[in-house]
Formats: sequence, structure tokens, C-alpha cells
Amino acid sequence: MYLYIYDSFLIDKKYTDILLKFEKRITDLGIKGKIARLSVLKNMKELITDGVKEGVHTVVAIGNAQTFAKVINIVADLDLTLGLIPIDNNNPIAKILGIPPKDLACDVLASRIIKKIDLGKINNHYFINTAEIENGDVVIEYDDFKVEPTTNEHSIILYNFASDGNIFNSSPVDGILEAVITPIRSTLFGKKKISGTVLPFTKIKINSNQEEQIAILTDQQIIMKTPAEISVSPQKLKIIVGSERSFD
Amino acid sequence: MFNKNQASAPNNKSIETIIGPSVKVEGDFKGEGDLIIEGTLIGSLKTKNNLKIGQNAFVQASVSANNAFISGRVKGNINVKGKLELSDTAVILGDIKAQVLSIESGAMIKGNIDMPIANLSHPEESLETKSKTDKEEKIEAEESNENK
Repeated sequence: MYLYIYDSFLIDKKYTDILLKFEKRITDLGIKGKIARLSVLKNMKELITDGVKEGVHTVVAIGNAQTFAKVINIVADLDLTLGLIPIDNNNPIAKILGIPPKDLACDVLASRIIKKIDLGKINNHYFINTAEIENGDVVIEYDDFKVEPTTNEHSIILYNFASDGNIFNSSPVDGILEAVITPIRSTLFGKKKISGTVLPFTKIKINSNQEEQIAILTDQQIIMKTPAEISVSPQKLKIIVGSERSFD
Repeated sequence: MFNKNQASAPNNKSIETIIGPSVKVEGDFKGEGDLIIEGTLIGSLKTKNNLKIGQNAFVQASVSANNAFISGRVKGNINVKGKLELSDTAVILGDIKAQVLSIESGAMIKGNIDMPIANLSHPEESLETKSKTDKEEKIEAEESNENK
């Protein structure tokens, strides 16, 4: 049984047509299920745990990157398959998973190519794509060595998977995360990122060299703080992917 | 193995770890895949694969790798299983052990070089023996010609 969860922002009238098209398409494809809407009174965890009791085996989240970041943290620890329907055209997670936007994603759902992918874990919070630190004076501690950026302006991004255009390969099925430290130099034409450091890892700690805590932004949505322990949770999430995905 | 051409246009698909110029690493670094160092590393450095130490890199560590291409500064002993290449900008303060060694004109080394020679325990003796056997073979050949 499918459980479709609409994010609360989809109540806006501008999404009515999109949702109608989507509902028609899932009916045509024979993958209709229970539809639940997030609201102030109904949170996602409640909806999913109630669904599991009713025999739900696939949870489909309809929304944006923030919706996906939320649902991943609930589904990861349950024996469920996750499907995503991006409502916007520029969803980086959906792109990597090969899921087209809006009702086009229904065909991907119906084809049910299921992959078990790794998740990053920062303290007790999962992330699917990236965790980012901008200009933080931090030290990254591995088991036997530590790494420190020597520039004032830099970005540190921890990748589970990297989209096209990056200088390295990062796959969500290799059991490894990558820490990428990129110095930023100011030029006449603005700030420019130059070639940096790529360090694979399975577990690291990030500590601040300053008195105040430093923010770590996961999946460009949720903010965590240092000190943080980051590790990979291999094959943690069962997810429906498209044939256009960027990994095997 | 890394070479000069690869240095300018590296095949990033095979590269697993890069320590960039804006990073300092301290401790016992162990790598499984290919490793490129353009920054600073202090401690010890081990990789089962290929190692490249770039021109502006500084490594103060005992270094162990399968193959290595060095054009930066290394302070510490280097142990390479296969081929070690030192470019003209390389500065090595420490002992070198390698199966195959290539040193470009301009590279500087302060330390001992040890190249294990597999079948020759005492190279000089063996060379002498080899030259003797060559002479003996010549004499035998001459004698057989005379007899004919």
C-alpha cells in the first residue's frame, strides 16, 4: 500500500492543478494509495507511523527539498520504501536520483526501480546529499590524523553524492562520504572557488577552533551545530529511483 | 603512475584523495587509493597505491607508497615498493628506498639511497664471476676453433 504525503505548503491554490494531474496519473498507473496532508495538527512522523500500522510499505513525499530532508529522517529507521515527487523543477536531490518533476515522476514511481543508498549521519540526524560549513574555523578529526584549512575564506562540504560538474566522483552506494575543502579567493570579478581538498571518510568529528559553535547546514535545509560526529550509514535508505539517475 | 602530463590534467576518475594547497594535515595518514598532496602534511604517510607530492607541497613525514612522483619538499625517509620519480624541483631530506628510481637533473637529495637488487647478494662478486665465465667461454670457443 502507498501512502502519499503532501507537504503543508501545497495547500496554496497555485498547486491545485499540479496535484490534480498527479492524482489522475497515479490512478491511471494503478498506484493509487492513501493521501495525507501535513498541517499544524498532523506532523509527518505521526502520519507515517499510523500508515505503517495500516500496512503501508511505500511512502511517497510530495514537496520540495525541505520535505525530502524531513521524510528521510523518519523513513530511514523504518522498513519502508521511499518515493519522492518534486514539485519544483530545480530539486538537486531529485535530479541525482533521476526523478523528473511533478506528474512526470509518477512513471518513475510505477516502474519501481528500488536502490538501497547510503545516508550521511550528523550526530543523530540523517542527510541524503550534503552537509556544509561556510568559513568556519574548524578542525576535522579522523581516527589517526586531523585536517585544518589554512585559509580564512573557504567552504567545507561533506558529500554523500555529488552532482555533475564536480571534480570528483561521489556515489551514494559506495559506503563512503567525501569531505571537500575549497578555498575561496576574491578576484576583480568577485569571489572564486579554486581547486581544493578531497578526503574520503566513513567517520569524522568536526570541532570548532573558536569559542562559539559553528553551523553545519544539512541538505541546504536543517542547521546543526559543532561539535559534530559525522558518519556514513551504508545502504540505509530504500528509495525509488529513475533510469536517468547519476549512479549505478 | 603519475607523470608530468598527468599532473597538469589529472584523470580525476582514478583520484581518491587530494590534500590541497590550503590544507594542513597532522598525524598518521593512511590512504587506500591514489593520493595527491599539494599542501602540508606532518606525521607519517602511507598509501597502498600511487602518491604524487606537488611542487608547493611540504611533507614532514616518513613516506610509504606503491609508486611515487615527487616534485615538492620531503623531510623524512621514503620507502617506495615500485618506481620513485623525483622531478627537478624535488628536495628530499632523508633516506630513499625504491625498486626503480628516476632522478631529474636539479633534484636535491640529502640521505642514503637503497635499491634492493633481487638476485645479487654481493653485486661486485657476481660481476667478477660473470666476467670470468665470459672469458672462459671465449677461451673454449678459441680452442675449439683451433682444433678444427
